[in-house]
Amino acid sequence: MARTIIYLISILGILSTADLSAQTSGTGNQFGEKIRGTRFMPYPNYTGKPYLYDKFIFGEIELTNGTKINNIGLSYSTYRDELIYYNIDISAQIVIDKLSLKGFSLKEANGKQRIFRRMQSNSFSHEERYYELLCEGKTSLLTYRKVNLEPCDTYYSKSGLAYQPAYIYYLYSSEKGFSALNPSRNSLLSKFNKANQKLVKKLLRKNGVFITDESSFIKAWTLVAEKDIETNF
Amino acid sequence: MRRFITIFLLISTFLGSAQGTDYLNLFSDRDSYISGETILLKIFAPAQEQSGIVHIDLLNPNGKIITGINKRIIDHQADGFIYLPDSLKTGTYLLSSSTNSNKFITVRELFVSNRFTGLTGTSSMLRASDINPEVEKLADIIVEGVQNNYKTRERVKIDLRLTSETLTRLEGDLVISLAEKSPEIDAQSFIQSTVSAKEPKIEKDGIIIEGSVTELDTNKPFSNGCVYLSVPDSIPKLQYFIPGEDGCFSFHLSGYFGTIPVVIQAFDPEKKRLLKIFLNHRDSLISAVPKFSNIAISAASADFQSAETNNIELTTLRKIFNIQDITISDTALSRKNDYPFYGRPGEIIHPNNFIELPDFTEISRELLPGVKFRAYNRIPSMQILNPLTQNYFIEQPLVLLNGVPVLDLKVIKNLGTKDIERIELCRNERFYGNLAFHGVVAIYTSKKDLSLLKESDDLVKINLDVLQPQAALNIPKEGKLPNEPDLRKVLLWNPGLKKAKTIHLEFSTSDVKGSFKLIIRGKTKDGSIIRKDQIFEVK
Repeated sequence: MARTIIYLISILGILSTADLSAQTSGTGNQFGEKIRGTRFMPYPNYTGKPYLYDKFIFGEIELTNGTKINNIGLSYSTYRDELIYYNIDISAQIVIDKLSLKGFSLKEANGKQRIFRRMQSNSFSHEERYYELLCEGKTSLLTYRKVNLEPCDTYYSKSGLAYQPAYIYYLYSSEKGFSALNPSRNSLLSKFNKANQKLVKKLLRKNGVFITDESSFIKAWTLVAEKDIETNF
Repeated sequence: MRRFITIFLLISTFLGSAQGTDYLNLFSDRDSYISGETILLKIFAPAQEQSGIVHIDLLNPNGKIITGINKRIIDHQADGFIYLPDSLKTGTYLLSSSTNSNKFITVRELFVSNRFTGLTGTSSMLRASDINPEVEKLADIIVEGVQNNYKTRERVKIDLRLTSETLTRLEGDLVISLAEKSPEIDAQSFIQSTVSAKEPKIEKDGIIIEGSVTELDTNKPFSNGCVYLSVPDSIPKLQYFIPGEDGCFSFHLSGYFGTIPVVIQAFDPEKKRLLKIFLNHRDSLISAVPKFSNIAISAASADFQSAETNNIELTTLRKIFNIQDITISDTALSRKNDYPFYGRPGEIIHPNNFIELPDFTEISRELLPGVKFRAYNRIPSMQILNPLTQNYFIEQPLVLLNGVPVLDLKVIKNLGTKDIERIELCRNERFYGNLAFHGVVAIYTSKKDLSLLKESDDLVKINLDVLQPQAALNIPKEGKLPNEPDLRKVLLWNPGLKKAKTIHLEFSTSDVKGSFKLIIRGKTKDGSIIRKDQIFEVK
């Protein structure tokens, strides 16, 4: 019986490998959607980080027509709010056209995935921006990971300029649009009416959540979203 | 060892049956037509069908494709229509349905009478013999409310009752057709097997165009070239393919409906060799052709003769009154946020707004700063100033004429301001897949045609039938004026009737008198077709 099982497993193994190889030896990249963009020009070297990560990391992009292209080297420039991709075939760093993307995701070495969506901002210019999706739901928690090149003390940077993070957090719902907030308890409470503020306070207290940084802020919002407490913005 | 072999055989049989081929089911609204009419079609695809596109072709008895359509398979089903050309000779024709991945072709016979000659001189007809006909089982469907006789233009209400067992057995939608019955013809569907020399390319959501590139002098496959496929749409599209050693290329066209102009170009990046393009045309389908036997149209079929004469008159009247059989749905796609493959232009210049200039050299000098178009030794060249480095790109930019890449700049040399509607410029280095463009100059002419691009061995212009848009049978509204003729021979055609315990149907008879046949078909989960017929007269 044991021998039969071994036979069965080995045959199924052979067949499944054949099936997989049949799938991968397809028609090449010619059928795939083509990535559109312009050549990337490196930024001036100042203190601070103009990119989300120092190196290219693997990620997935989703084009506006729904096509997903995965396992490509990506780097998100928080300074220019642009996504750079490394084309191995032609050894070029290419800034992907923002308009051609619905969004993208970056996979960290620890397996954590960070999802970004292209959305039209509520700013005066109504420009298209990449927002990181911190918590998705009826009302989502987003952040615009903006980095500005700002004058600074020459003790900090010899050139007197440095890349400074200026992240902006938003609550977003398709009906109400964007509402900016700070990662603080008071700012969060300001997005609820009086009655619901009590509920939120109670919820945070019960779960021992103190908003001190981004991760605790996300945790607090996740708790609120789970309870489906209505916002007022 | 014997046990091992037994187990292996068992597994291979199981996998064979699970992944094995199964055939398509093809139905039409009627069995006989008059040239100039429209065939309405329905296809059921097998559950394991890999291809997302089905090809339906009208063939003559020799297997030559007269016309054909491509339809997307959605939920293992597809429906469409084929216009029968007016010039078809009276005789037997074949409808074939096939996919790139299926080893079987499903064929259906049909008889077509020419609209001008009718059955004159036709004493016999070809009928398929030695075939493997598709068997249709009797469906357990009760048709309620059908009388034997109706008057012309009478409102009819009927109910279909499906047993719970039938409901559970059915997979997909029902097909319902109610059309004038032909006295002589009872067309059959049958399965023909086909052998493909190469491994087929699976068409997922669009059709595939295949071909090869050879060297013009030696006729050897050319592997180091590049093949462009351009669709000069309002927002131009481009695809490229780098052929391998066999010189073969293929393009996948999805998201297009109807007939589209396509330009295919092949070139040697080193500009050393002249190339020739061969497109793989599907102009015949010999494997769909069965053996035929010639059957005399019996003397007893005077009914058939008179029915055909009446049908020809009706079709002619429909043509005179310009009555359309079907309404084609609008397939306009949302182009929000869509932009050309070469990127959003940084500048758009309308030369008509400026002083008249005789040729492109003058236009580039006067209207396009940073674009250098010169002719050294009568060979034109173009360069664009890179705004980031303030140097001219060494390489030539991508030059497009109405969305189609121009490889020989002599084509645009003589274009003056009168000929050009607008010029779009992208000064940056642009990337499209693995292609790099050192700036883009997109010229759109006032005529908006491709007449300047001459067909040659390495440039092919074709009008390509891509996916057929959805269509529905035209049914006149209630309260139609009595002096307006209602000459419908098909009273009802619904290829996507949702299954339910009770289905209520309502229709009106037309001015056409004769015998009408209601056919309800469905596909069961085991792959068999069930069918229910009901005949009535309109007097």
